[in-house]
Amino acid sequence: MNFSVELAPKHPCGLLLANPVMTAAGTFGYGTEIEDEHLFDIQKLGAVVCKGTTLEPKKGNLQPRLVETASGLLNSIGLQNIGVAALIREKAPIWVKWRVPVIVNIAGETLSDYAKLAMRLDGVAGISGLEVNISCPNIKAGGAEFGANPDSAAAVTRAVRKATSLPILVKLAPNTSDISRVAVAVAEAGADAISLINTLRGMAIDIHRRRSVLGNITGGLSGPAIKPVALSMVYQVAGVVDIPVVGCGGITTAQDAIEFIMAGASAVQVGTASFANPSVFLDILKGIKQFMQKEGIKDVSEFIGVVSG
Amino acid sequence: MKQIIAKVISNTRILKELERRRALKRPQPRDVLGSYLLWLDCPELTPKAKPGQFVMVRCGGKTILPRPFSIHQVNNKGNIALFFAVWEDGKGTNWLSQRHIGSKVELFGPLGVDFSIRSDSRNLLLVAGGIGIAPLYFLAQEAVKKTRSVTLLLGAATASQIYPKNLLPSRIKTVITTEDGSAGKKGRVIDLVPEFIDRADQVFACGPIPMYREMYLQRRKFLKNKPTQVSLETVMGCGRGVCYGCTIKTKKGLQEICRDGPIFDLDDIM
Repeated sequence: MNFSVELAPKHPCGLLLANPVMTAAGTFGYGTEIEDEHLFDIQKLGAVVCKGTTLEPKKGNLQPRLVETASGLLNSIGLQNIGVAALIREKAPIWVKWRVPVIVNIAGETLSDYAKLAMRLDGVAGISGLEVNISCPNIKAGGAEFGANPDSAAAVTRAVRKATSLPILVKLAPNTSDISRVAVAVAEAGADAISLINTLRGMAIDIHRRRSVLGNITGGLSGPAIKPVALSMVYQVAGVVDIPVVGCGGITTAQDAIEFIMAGASAVQVGTASFANPSVFLDILKGIKQFMQKEGIKDVSEFIGVVSG
Repeated sequence: MKQIIAKVISNTRILKELERRRALKRPQPRDVLGSYLLWLDCPELTPKAKPGQFVMVRCGGKTILPRPFSIHQVNNKGNIALFFAVWEDGKGTNWLSQRHIGSKVELFGPLGVDFSIRSDSRNLLLVAGGIGIAPLYFLAQEAVKKTRSVTLLLGAATASQIYPKNLLPSRIKTVITTEDGSAGKKGRVIDLVPEFIDRADQVFACGPIPMYREMYLQRRKFLKNKPTQVSLETVMGCGRGVCYGCTIKTKKGLQEICRDGPIFDLDDIM
């Protein structure tokens, strides 16, 4: 059986994953943490997407940053990260030794931030691709604002495309009126693949204290609560672009992952589910393999988008 | 770190806390339904467990995040005990309190940084506010094994909330205090500290944040510059330092409670 998937078929170097199970940005740190835990072999993953990275280190938002909701998790971390310089200095040298490709998620407040980040990371050994984060709902400027409309999304994509020779994924926000138009614009602007969705903007209130639970008032909703939304958006986007789509949003089981692949995703990102079950990635991978065996599927590509119209 | 499925050996409500609201005489938005002592069979985990560390427990289908619990006790049969209060609106703790003998619980750990007993510390003062005895019990056990002299100050709102005497660790001195005077001395646990601080080489505390704040603000009176470590509790996402959900500002910069803690020097977090 062939589990490998190509995420950047139009790119000269490509971005070949040994299997379609990836980590979701912001839920797996830099991937280096898991190595010390000896919990599972990180090399068995399809790809690692690291914490959203900005030009300068970022302290993130006020506490509380997390609140559990019905079938979901609201977070307002606010892109706390070590900054691109420390990432290149401390993390990339570890990634060089890995077989699993590492994709760096980048986030900026301005177009030039994105371009500078892409330029800094271009050619850094240990980095196989970039994921352009135009969808973080938890920062004051930039982020999701770029992802909200097709023109700004395309502008960011073009800026990054010009600044790097690495394969680029663009991660889209669900908080937009027409995600298909944003996806088409991003694809035309030179993205190698599209990942979706980031979290949905949400809120929870402490009725005894009469104030929002989260320090940042609102946050981003993830977990099983958003899966049907994410699935329909993946289905919608996969139908209008001719580049690979990576599905993300509430994936907890192999069945969830298979649904996304059938809706048109070439790969999936798993995040929130790994908090309760740190080795969920391998459980999902195992489940996909069993499904393929049972159904007599020889290659993942055989069922990518089978549900697409 | 190990991720395992552990069998429940016993699960007992050892504290009934329905009188808590009345005893506290403060408006409480929520009631505590009781506190449970849960013994789990996890021989894969016990050899590495150290006092102050915690485990993350999956608490059933209605929860998304695993719940952090201090390791309360470890025995030589490969079992660990958790001690936790069940709030009326606590989804995770309610679920966990209903696990019967023989049922399975998924967890991973041990996680985080442990309490550290200095090599030259002979006399340890442990200060437990309410459920704060959870990590200090294990510390007391280990300290006794290392031939340290341990004094445990154990305080709660009322007698029904005081850890049962017959279950307390042996070979340590325990002093009980309640806010309403229904057991032991009347008053708050923190008010007992000045009486014992001179003899102590090191202080270890676990309780609510206001208790730590007062200890710190009046450290000349309470602590007399004795090194003090405290355990912090918070909502956690991953428990493993990858999600940045439990970041706090400390004198050493931003730190994750789950990975850089949950044990901190009191000076660093105030």
